[in-house]
Amino acid sequence: MITPIMAGALEGLTVIECGRTGAAAYAAKLLADLGADVVKVEAPGTGDPARALGPFPGGIPHPEASGTFLYLNTNKRGIALDIASANGREALDRLVSRADVFVHDFPPAEADVFGLTHERFRGNEKLVMTSIFPFGSNGPHRDFKAYDLTLMSAGGWTWLNGWPGRMEMPPLKPYGFQAAYQGGVNAALGTMGALYARRRTGRGQHVEISVQECIASILEMNLAFWSYMETPAVRWGQRPIHPIEMFQCKDGGWIFVLCIEEHQWQALVELMDTPEWTQWEVSANRFVRASNWDALRPFMEGWVSQWNTEELYRAAQAKRIPFAPASTLGYLLESEHLKVRGFFVEVEHPAAGKLKQVGAPYKLSRTPWEIRRPAPLLGQHNVEVLGEAGMTADDIAALATGGAG
Amino acid sequence: MGEPLEGIRVADFTWVWAGPMCTMQLAHMGAEVIRMETTGRICTLRMLPPWPGGQPDPNRSGYFNQYNQGKRSILLNLQEEEGREIAKRLVAVSDVAVENFAGGVIDRMGLGYEELCKVRPDLVMISMSGYGHTGPDSSFVSYGPAQVPLSGLSSLTGYPGEGPMHVGMSYGDPNAGLHAAFAVIAALYRQDATGEGQYIDMSQWESSMNVLGDAFMHQVMNGDQPARNGSRVPHMSPHGVFMCAGEDRWLSIACGNDDEWRALAAAMGRPELAGDARFLTLSDRKANEDELEMLIMEWTLQHDPFEAMDILQAAGVAAYPPLMNREVLESPQLAVRDFWVEKEHPQVGVRRHAGVPYHLSDTPAAVWRAAPVMGQDNDYVYQEVLGMTPEEIADYTARGVFK
Repeated sequence: MITPIMAGALEGLTVIECGRTGAAAYAAKLLADLGADVVKVEAPGTGDPARALGPFPGGIPHPEASGTFLYLNTNKRGIALDIASANGREALDRLVSRADVFVHDFPPAEADVFGLTHERFRGNEKLVMTSIFPFGSNGPHRDFKAYDLTLMSAGGWTWLNGWPGRMEMPPLKPYGFQAAYQGGVNAALGTMGALYARRRTGRGQHVEISVQECIASILEMNLAFWSYMETPAVRWGQRPIHPIEMFQCKDGGWIFVLCIEEHQWQALVELMDTPEWTQWEVSANRFVRASNWDALRPFMEGWVSQWNTEELYRAAQAKRIPFAPASTLGYLLESEHLKVRGFFVEVEHPAAGKLKQVGAPYKLSRTPWEIRRPAPLLGQHNVEVLGEAGMTADDIAALATGGAG
Repeated sequence: MGEPLEGIRVADFTWVWAGPMCTMQLAHMGAEVIRMETTGRICTLRMLPPWPGGQPDPNRSGYFNQYNQGKRSILLNLQEEEGREIAKRLVAVSDVAVENFAGGVIDRMGLGYEELCKVRPDLVMISMSGYGHTGPDSSFVSYGPAQVPLSGLSSLTGYPGEGPMHVGMSYGDPNAGLHAAFAVIAALYRQDATGEGQYIDMSQWESSMNVLGDAFMHQVMNGDQPARNGSRVPHMSPHGVFMCAGEDRWLSIACGNDDEWRALAAAMGRPELAGDARFLTLSDRKANEDELEMLIMEWTLQHDPFEAMDILQAAGVAAYPPLMNREVLESPQLAVRDFWVEKEHPQVGVRRHAGVPYHLSDTPAAVWRAAPVMGQDNDYVYQEVLGMTPEEIADYTARGVFK
């Protein structure tokens, strides 16, 4: 066994983050949770828009208790700085001049207005600057207005989400901020590549992310269906094999019935006690089942409806059939498996109290993922961080009062 | 200036999508990724469509070719003891090992981290099984499409009053692959400084929940989860996908504040709506969202979605049609980006594939070669990397070790 040395893999790296969509915040969280020293720069007054998003304890809005903000900003220090003002900008430049990474998610036109260009930071030749743009830094849609829904649509994912055969229903955005998360994880990955390259070259560089491209990169087989077979993508994606569908159980829960490989189907047939329909020609293999699924579906639906969700899930897994429940979040928070793995972590925050949060996406044996501090209060570390950067107490105080720009 | 991971070699035990998604990122970054494949158990992706002409062929699958760009492939039968020994020889000259079998499988094969460390003490190894390698359900089997419901994403997604939905693609896979690649490079970064490798236990399930962290806060703070509410969200209105002129044509529209709503009203030729008491503020619009959406649809139904997009974007409103696969491939925006990859493939010729969404200015990440056909790199790997003679290779091939 390896004894963890209890320091993050990225300890010693300094990261400055600012942004608005959640993408830069998530990228910086991934770095921070592995030990990087991340300073989050927020606008004085309102701070990161995620502070207004909630959810809030008891549903009562409070800028220091927004769940989205608390989750996305673990392990960071926070400063409030008006980067549009001259002295705020000077302070930002000072921080970035000493940093290893600067990551932001302002769209190109706004980044230009703020002067957040790689050119501007050339003085720090070790700097990896990462810009997360909606559509990238060029092209006819460069300056298009975009939110998460916009980018999920522009990347081709929204189109896939809906019910086949119900064309009157609009394609649907999957829950949450998936474009921001994908922009964030790709940004963290690109940044990490640039940091690794720096070990050899001694120099940083600019990393540009297009969130539209991040989404277009994960469309499974759907892009290739056009470029290989000129087949248009359909709602619910291409499902060339079956079964792969959600059904409701006796107890009202839902289970995802899935067989990828033929041996899994055979195991399922056994679990079902080999009903007649599974022996018909139309059930012969996964492709044939897919072509005939409309006729076969009622049989599967009927069989599933005799089970309780958890029982069916475990009965299937006992035969190595890859079923999964459509988990509610309450179910997940109580999962014995996740408890044993210590997945959810409890984080104590001065305004929001002690709350469980989603934990490590990966467990590094020697340099563990770890929560060392909760998300920062707005401006909590102005004195500490700007002081470390060599600013005097007077200058810092002037910034806090929004001093002359 | 070379590539970010120039000189790094990856012993790639992965299959299906999650693992290959991870190793493709490492290949994009310039690592030499060597996939071990066997005709006895062909990668699931090779056996899934699309195939040109619709004829199944493991070397012609577009799904496989999309997510295995830039890798090398060797035939190596890991069911044979000799095959496993050769895998270890490959690991001994590699920096990274990646696998995504169900929990416990790689250990039973005798190729777990402890074993591989004996031949490569500073190895960075990642296991990316569905459930992680510890915990009571660690041996459960899982695929990316099942991670969508398992993670909670399905129970959060859907039309109001209807059941949980899948999200149209196997999100658990690429999401795990990207997080894994990040973790691997972070571990390499550390290893470069300290000389020590490490083992990474990744659960696709847990990484899937990482992109739902905000929803879990809702559950933890208030004891319930956000309701399935179509494309509507609490913090913006309008926010939805609207039917346009034509068959199955749609436009997504999102207004982040009152100004954008007023701009939308004006752009639709209905400036009076901006002053309508039902829609003045976000809370007004949320309270009257059905009516609001009907009014917007009256307008979108008169328009082609791309025309409507141009009109609204010119007014500063976030609008974009949900693109279908063909429209993504033919997007005028993506056309001028350095994104599409069209490399000659020995069996399918030149096809368009999605490339790299992260653009590094000095040491670019890129695709150097199309996805391999099975065993395409036997000669290179066995001779040049492992130093075997042609006679040895012929012998292993004849005895079914390289198959």
